Amino acid sequence: MLLLRLLPAGLAFGILQVVLRLADDADVVRRLKERDPKAMSDLYDRYGRLAYSLICRVVRNPSAAEDLLQETFMRVWNRVGSFDAERGALGPWVLAVARNRAIDYLRSVDGRMQAGAVDLDRIEHPAQFSDIDASTLAIDRVRRLKSAFEKLTPNQRVVIELAYYEGMSQTEMAGRLKQPLGTVKTWTRSALKILREELAEAAIA
Amino acid sequence: MTCRELQDAYELYALGVLEGEEKAEIDAHVARGCEICLQGLADARAMNAALLSFVPEKYPSARLKRRVMEGIGVRHPGWGWLGAFAAALMLIVALWLAVQERERTTQLAEARRMVLQVSGERDRLTQALQFLSDPQTVPASFGKGPAAPPRGYVFLHPHLGVLLIASNLPAAGQGKAYEMWVIPKGGAPRPAGLFQSEGARAVHILNGPIDVAALGAVVVTVEPEAGSAAPTSQPIIAAPVGT
Repeated sequence: MLLLRLLPAGLAFGILQVVLRLADDADVVRRLKERDPKAMSDLYDRYGRLAYSLICRVVRNPSAAEDLLQETFMRVWNRVGSFDAERGALGPWVLAVARNRAIDYLRSVDGRMQAGAVDLDRIEHPAQFSDIDASTLAIDRVRRLKSAFEKLTPNQRVVIELAYYEGMSQTEMAGRLKQPLGTVKTWTRSALKILREELAEAAIA
Repeated sequence: MTCRELQDAYELYALGVLEGEEKAEIDAHVARGCEICLQGLADARAMNAALLSFVPEKYPSARLKRRVMEGIGVRHPGWGWLGAFAAALMLIVALWLAVQERERTTQLAEARRMVLQVSGERDRLTQALQFLSDPQTVPASFGKGPAAPPRGYVFLHPHLGVLLIASNLPAAGQGKAYEMWVIPKGGAPRPAGLFQSEGARAVHILNGPIDVAALGAVVVTVEPEAGSAAPTSQPIIAAPVGT
């Protein structure tokens, strides 16, 4: 049920790669807006593996994951016009689009086609990813966040996973876990509070 | 609800899984440009990105990048060459299959021809047996004496026609054929069909009723391959009827 027990070297390296390239993301966005195919290649080289890993974690189907990754990058290509090259955080946006494609697929497979599709479209709009702290993905901060996650109780960890990797609302979590909604809300609120505080301390440090 | 009361819901809102009153409240705060909620949501999206990066690393296949690039209209240069090669290969395969098909068609036609030939020979043999077994059949022999000249029998039947069975009959020659004639008593020879010998033997049948009593002889001459209206050479077989 844990996200990770240890931060593998490969993942650490991957996150470091993301961090080092944050400064170049603005240039990639500019070239994407100019419809430069090389920019798309660069975007894929930077975030393709991470996005694919995330999608695989959500859908647990390599074949579907490939299709969804292609959808992700086509969506980014088609919507980059609304992305602010100077103020936008490209990595978080790509991850959000990838995650949402995966959740959308999961919902269609599970038959959970609510109004979710509309919400996903809204929450991944490029304008939502302006003025985000680009250093959030710095390796030391990620490591501290992971450490904090591992200190959560099992109940707190499971509700975080259900929200992030299965796109479940708290009502759905309550049904899945056979717990009162109030209990699920308490677990979720307390988990996020701990993680938020850890991230804030890491930012100050 | 106040911003403070909503601050624990920003992450779920940014994930799109928040529902109910809390969602409606944040929607309202965002709609009126609440700076506290907008900054809270920005921080929430940052934390969400960090949490989403906690996944076991998976490696997509190399072809996946090609698919992505093809999605924006970029063709892999290698595919052009490979495509041309594949097209050429398919053309070669198609031509080979066409040749194979033609050969099979030829073989099939040859097989059919052989079947027809065998069927024809079977029919002739069947008719020959019918001749031989029928009590109304009258024999007339030829070529007695030394084995060198053609020899055999001519069988005549008033309803079945004429049956010729010959041996010591060499090939008629290039562009030539044997032609049988029925000669009425006191009359001119009438054509009775063309045939070739095989292995120095020949079986030839003239179908149809004949007046055996009015028949004087049955002869065979060598004629041009297309046949003649009247004998152009000396008979090599002459079988008098009724002797």
